[in-house]
Amino acid sequence: MKKLYLKDIAHGRSGDKGNISNICVYPRKKEDYAFLKDYLTPTRVKDHFKSMVKGDVLRYEVDSLQGLNFVLKEALGGGATFSLRLDSLGKSMSSALMRMEIPVEDYDNYRKELGK
Amino acid sequence: MSALKEISIGGGQGFWGDSPDAAIDMVQNGNLNYLACDYLAELTMSILQRQKNRNPEAGYARDFVDLFSRILSDCHKNGIRILANAGGVNVLALVEKLKVVVKEKGIANYKIGYVLGDDLKEDLPRLMAEGHEFINSDNGKKLVEIQDKILNANVYFGREPFLQCLQQNADVIVSGRASDSSLFLSPLMYEFGWKDDDYDNIARGIIVGHLLECGGQGSGGNFEYGWRDVPDLDRLGFPIARVSEDKTIITKTATSGGLVSEESCKEQLMYEIHDPANYITPDVVADISASELEQIGKDEVQLKNVKGKKRPDTLKLSIGYHAGYKVETYLNYAWPDAYEKAQFASEIIMKKMKRKNLKVEDIRIDYVGLNALHLDVANMDPEHVKNLNEVLLRIAIRTDTKEEAQKLIPEISPLQLNGPPGSSFFGGRARIQPVIGLWPTLIPRDMVQLSAHVVEVDA
Repeated sequence: MKKLYLKDIAHGRSGDKGNISNICVYPRKKEDYAFLKDYLTPTRVKDHFKSMVKGDVLRYEVDSLQGLNFVLKEALGGGATFSLRLDSLGKSMSSALMRMEIPVEDYDNYRKELGK
Repeated sequence: MSALKEISIGGGQGFWGDSPDAAIDMVQNGNLNYLACDYLAELTMSILQRQKNRNPEAGYARDFVDLFSRILSDCHKNGIRILANAGGVNVLALVEKLKVVVKEKGIANYKIGYVLGDDLKEDLPRLMAEGHEFINSDNGKKLVEIQDKILNANVYFGREPFLQCLQQNADVIVSGRASDSSLFLSPLMYEFGWKDDDYDNIARGIIVGHLLECGGQGSGGNFEYGWRDVPDLDRLGFPIARVSEDKTIITKTATSGGLVSEESCKEQLMYEIHDPANYITPDVVADISASELEQIGKDEVQLKNVKGKKRPDTLKLSIGYHAGYKVETYLNYAWPDAYEKAQFASEIIMKKMKRKNLKVEDIRIDYVGLNALHLDVANMDPEHVKNLNEVLLRIAIRTDTKEEAQKLIPEISPLQLNGPPGSSFFGGRARIQPVIGLWPTLIPRDMVQLSAHVVEVDA
């Protein structure tokens, strides 16, 4: 069965402030916002990143933009100045989140419900 | 004031080092009233201070002088006023360079505005003696811990000095650590006469700035949604805002590449914002939690429903300090078993480092081409890993002293002849780089004395 990744149904951008990374996530199709809101919980995001993100993950919802904003604390290996990471500013944090695998069945069920 | 009044403002630079092409295009083809250019990222002030320490004439974004000389005649002809925080830690040196450019172009009665007072390095000892602790907003520590290592101290400030320069008819205004979005808010506030308690309009101006201050990131650059389909990225246009009392439109010139779409604006709107309902700036606490972006035409997106709240009584003070050294080293390995060879080489180097009694504050061993960017979430499927065509071993260390950092450097290139087969080395011997720490803290507004100045240059 073909795998479904977050990148297939969403897009976003990551930025940095000190050792904090933020990633905004929007659905590619607006009607998928409710699915993202339901599936992409802060706990799932935190678990996805394993030891890359040492601190808390907060999620803000902006319904009027169909957007989620994740704030990942202690996420950049010390922050732009201290971090020894190749990507010390976390420009690739968004694509790292976008490779989260989405259960195809869950998504298909959501789309089916929408169609009713 | 006419209800139909519309002000056009362009975002000409996303950072120090950005391409000048979009700014040049928009002053020629954008029907602009204002061009605002952001040059400063978090670390830039510290880098500029280091340059100034070596050369008292340096310490500002030199690129701006070049851009200024390329756009000055068009800006003057079209009545476009320019704002830029390119002054870094040496605003006065930049002003002198701009005067020379104005004279070279033979422009008479040109007014250069500039802002001083954001550089608090010299004031810190006195303020600390008076009992100000400058608690680190991230870790709660007191500044006294790093007092002897301070490199620079600059306040992120807002609109007031820009408004004063605009009222005195400055044609160009340069500053140090102005907050990026104030460069955009100030002309709008000046033109529309918004009052200090008109929080919603001030927030609207700040969010316009936020959408424009990263240049191409608002118009198709770094665009995850559909990067393949962005037209003509080789001549990417940067976003322009057309603002009236009742409308905010984000657009770009028809002569440039790129695109302005709902998605391009969405990706930028929440970029580097934490709580969307409380985006704290020196001018206002902006609230985009109910904001809307709507495509109303080709390369035209309307921003709606930005709200604002009173700004805090404190300003952010960013202090840069010496925080040791770092070294990054690289060695290439190719198929077969590229990853295994690179790991093997790193083990050899680490054994040598142990013998040299290397003391590090931090160390990273990465495999570029495999997992140096995505780290824990990279694909480490054994089949994939085994068949890598090539991998670049990267060893990076951070140390307290130069002597410790130096220990790694001579051990890398010998591995070409003395380690696993087929290794190659590039870029010459690694260099020790100083590490700058950032100490974010707050300072009461009334302790900061900013001043606005305007000088007229005669050709």
